[in-house]
Amino acid sequence: MSDASSNMHSENAGFSLGAILREPVVLALFAIIILLGIGEAVSPGFARGDQIIKLLTVAALLGFAAAGQNLVVLAGGEGIDLSVGAMISLGAVIAGNVMDGANGGILPALIAAMGVTFIIGMVNGLGVNLIRIPPLVMTLGMTSVIQGGLVVFSRGIPSGNAAPALMNFINQPVVFGIPGVLFIWLLLIIGMVFILRATSFGLSIYAVGANPQAARLVGLPVKVIRTTVFGLSGALAGLTGVFVIGYTGNSFISVGDQYMLPSIIAVVIGGTSLAGGSGGYIGTVAGAIALILLQSVLTTLHLEFWGRQLIFGGTLLLLLMFYGRQKSARI
Amino acid sequence: MSSAITVRDLTKRFDKVHALTDGRLTVERGEIHALLGANGCGKSTLSKIVAGAYAPTSGTVLIDGKEVSFRSPRDAEEMGIALFYQELSLIPKMSVEANIFLRREPRNGVGFIDYAKMRTETLNLLAMFKDAIGDDIQPDALVADLTPGQRQIVEICKVYAKNPSIVIMDEATAALDGRQVKVFFDILRKKREEGVSTIFISHRLDEVFEICDHATIMRNGAVVAETAIAETTTEDVVHMMVGDVKKAPKRQALDDEGKKPLLKLEGVGSNLLNDVSLSVAPGEIVGLGGLQGQGQSTLLRSLFGALPITSGTVWLNNEQVAIRKPADAVRRKVAYVSGDRGPDAALPGRSIFENLAAAILVSEKRKLVRAKELRPQLAEVASAFKTKYARMTDAIGTLSGGNQQKIFIARWLATNPKVILLDDPTKGIDLAAKADLFALIRKLAESGVAVLLYSSEESELLDNCDRIAVFNDGAVVTELSGAEMDSFHLTRAAYGEA
Repeated sequence: MSDASSNMHSENAGFSLGAILREPVVLALFAIIILLGIGEAVSPGFARGDQIIKLLTVAALLGFAAAGQNLVVLAGGEGIDLSVGAMISLGAVIAGNVMDGANGGILPALIAAMGVTFIIGMVNGLGVNLIRIPPLVMTLGMTSVIQGGLVVFSRGIPSGNAAPALMNFINQPVVFGIPGVLFIWLLLIIGMVFILRATSFGLSIYAVGANPQAARLVGLPVKVIRTTVFGLSGALAGLTGVFVIGYTGNSFISVGDQYMLPSIIAVVIGGTSLAGGSGGYIGTVAGAIALILLQSVLTTLHLEFWGRQLIFGGTLLLLLMFYGRQKSARI
Repeated sequence: MSSAITVRDLTKRFDKVHALTDGRLTVERGEIHALLGANGCGKSTLSKIVAGAYAPTSGTVLIDGKEVSFRSPRDAEEMGIALFYQELSLIPKMSVEANIFLRREPRNGVGFIDYAKMRTETLNLLAMFKDAIGDDIQPDALVADLTPGQRQIVEICKVYAKNPSIVIMDEATAALDGRQVKVFFDILRKKREEGVSTIFISHRLDEVFEICDHATIMRNGAVVAETAIAETTTEDVVHMMVGDVKKAPKRQALDDEGKKPLLKLEGVGSNLLNDVSLSVAPGEIVGLGGLQGQGQSTLLRSLFGALPITSGTVWLNNEQVAIRKPADAVRRKVAYVSGDRGPDAALPGRSIFENLAAAILVSEKRKLVRAKELRPQLAEVASAFKTKYARMTDAIGTLSGGNQQKIFIARWLATNPKVILLDDPTKGIDLAAKADLFALIRKLAESGVAVLLYSSEESELLDNCDRIAVFNDGAVVTELSGAEMDSFHLTRAAYGEA
């Protein structure tokens, strides 16, 4: 214990400039500024207001998916949700088929997409917590099941269309040139921060992630909490799916795949420990924006898809090496 | 001819703690020598130095008259010394034979493991226990599938597989049943005839008197007596282990009339507990005594719902209750404080506020935290305890161990508990913090709380408890109160000589 406390002591001692600069949120903000600078230098106009709004719209989609990922990772127990991508695809396909281009179908589409993905997320959680399948294996397995199911359901043909109102909401400015989806993101940010800081459920997630045994010994239902976060991750992925189809207009069965890895990277760049128990959504938001910026800069540099993938993977590995060291000191 | 082992002027310091101040020991060839003493008297330290697990701070160890200095247990093993590990050293997912010959597998001419030879030798070793276990243990069985008693037998075989000339048996009989102990003692006697020397450590004095030739008795890190077993009695041995008899301070007897027990156990049992009956009145501090690991912690954790209870009944306030999980206990105003605060209580990396608020969020079934309202309330319980901290938002790790423990106790005070279960709560905290803690516990008791206290330090039990229930092997063997509340009676009861 004395080792651990002395480590923690040095980690938290004072508010030196160096310590602040090492804060992941600050790092992510720095990355955002630098990337904007590079983008502007390579292609003038990159950092223009309307361009930034467009970038934020794309970042919002990632932000929704990463919110659920964030909760799963925070609750610890090697928690990770690799089925986020497939769940987004599923949400998009369900929403597309329920709406089928009609504005009146938006609400039923939301309910159907989020309901189904919530249930599948809970199945993930139950598999992890009751049958004790490692989260990595459980959610990867679930990814295959969902993808297979989607192929059977759609026979591989893209189906369903977004309602026009939804597409406008995502792509067209509502007020001050800002599209509605960004307001929804703002609501989600406020909601996530409120849940994590001001509700018992939020503090329980941190407690369970920081030390499940201690959490159990104050009476917290560790398994219930760790199951619920998977359910929420599913529902948030489903919601992302609805917005994704609003963004693209129609859905195909692998539309969500591209979100799986970034949803994890955004959480990690944002400073949430993969060991669980520390971090938060504000960091993840900064992480999501930084990632989308990075992607966009790489596009302006005319990098191919495989090049972007390479850099994403490399970024994740680098960060894991960096944060992994912190983790061992923390426990 | 020189003795098998001679130890002179041995001392060992861990940081500032003197675990051993005067270690002496002489064990002859072909002798079974008991090493006796209360918890923390230094006998484990002494035996670990002899086995090469610790290096002494000063002093000499002679094996067969030659001075040795071991740098590792391997060095000691090469000199023919084998230690039976109290905390089992077997690897659960490996077979019996692989465990017995781990690192010393017999090799054939080309250098590969000679499995046939390993099998035969394992069978020979297991055959020593044939009268007690028959063919119950197969060489290729996984250790994980064995009962605790069978594992202990495998551990003993592992010791003898090294063909040692000196064996240290540290609580080797703890998990054995009566018949297995008998066979084990036959083996010890046979080895004695073969000239093997055994250092025998056991908390069962009857066993010591049955099997040992001599005894070395330790107290507070020093050897206080060496004697031939035939020339002493258990009574004398307990006196030597205890020294000056420490009396509990006189405390006003509780007015039993009209005080119904707040907590009552009838025949509580589980795989580690055996028919435990106890009652605690409001205002009472009842101690759980005995040697370490006799079921005291298990009982406290079971009452809190963290371990299962399989039989018997628990009454809380005259109501029969079934506590299946910690949340049930918390909502019934039962609190549990563990001394192992690292694994059991700390939320590392989280703020002092979050660490303090953890229990009240559960007990009050709160949905919202309402930090503004909670913060002053929690600050109050923390200060009742003289906890020193700068800001509630600081991480828990910025506090010293003692202050952390105060936080983990204060988190329960905020829930206004009726029953407090203290599981060696002062482990590793300084004297001032201990004094604060016990003063507070007494104050809580006076306000009508029922307290169950387990401590590995008997002086804490004697100083703070109104009664002490002494545990042995998962059962209460005796209950001490009044004039019997002294270290002599406590030690005697702990060693099963009630």
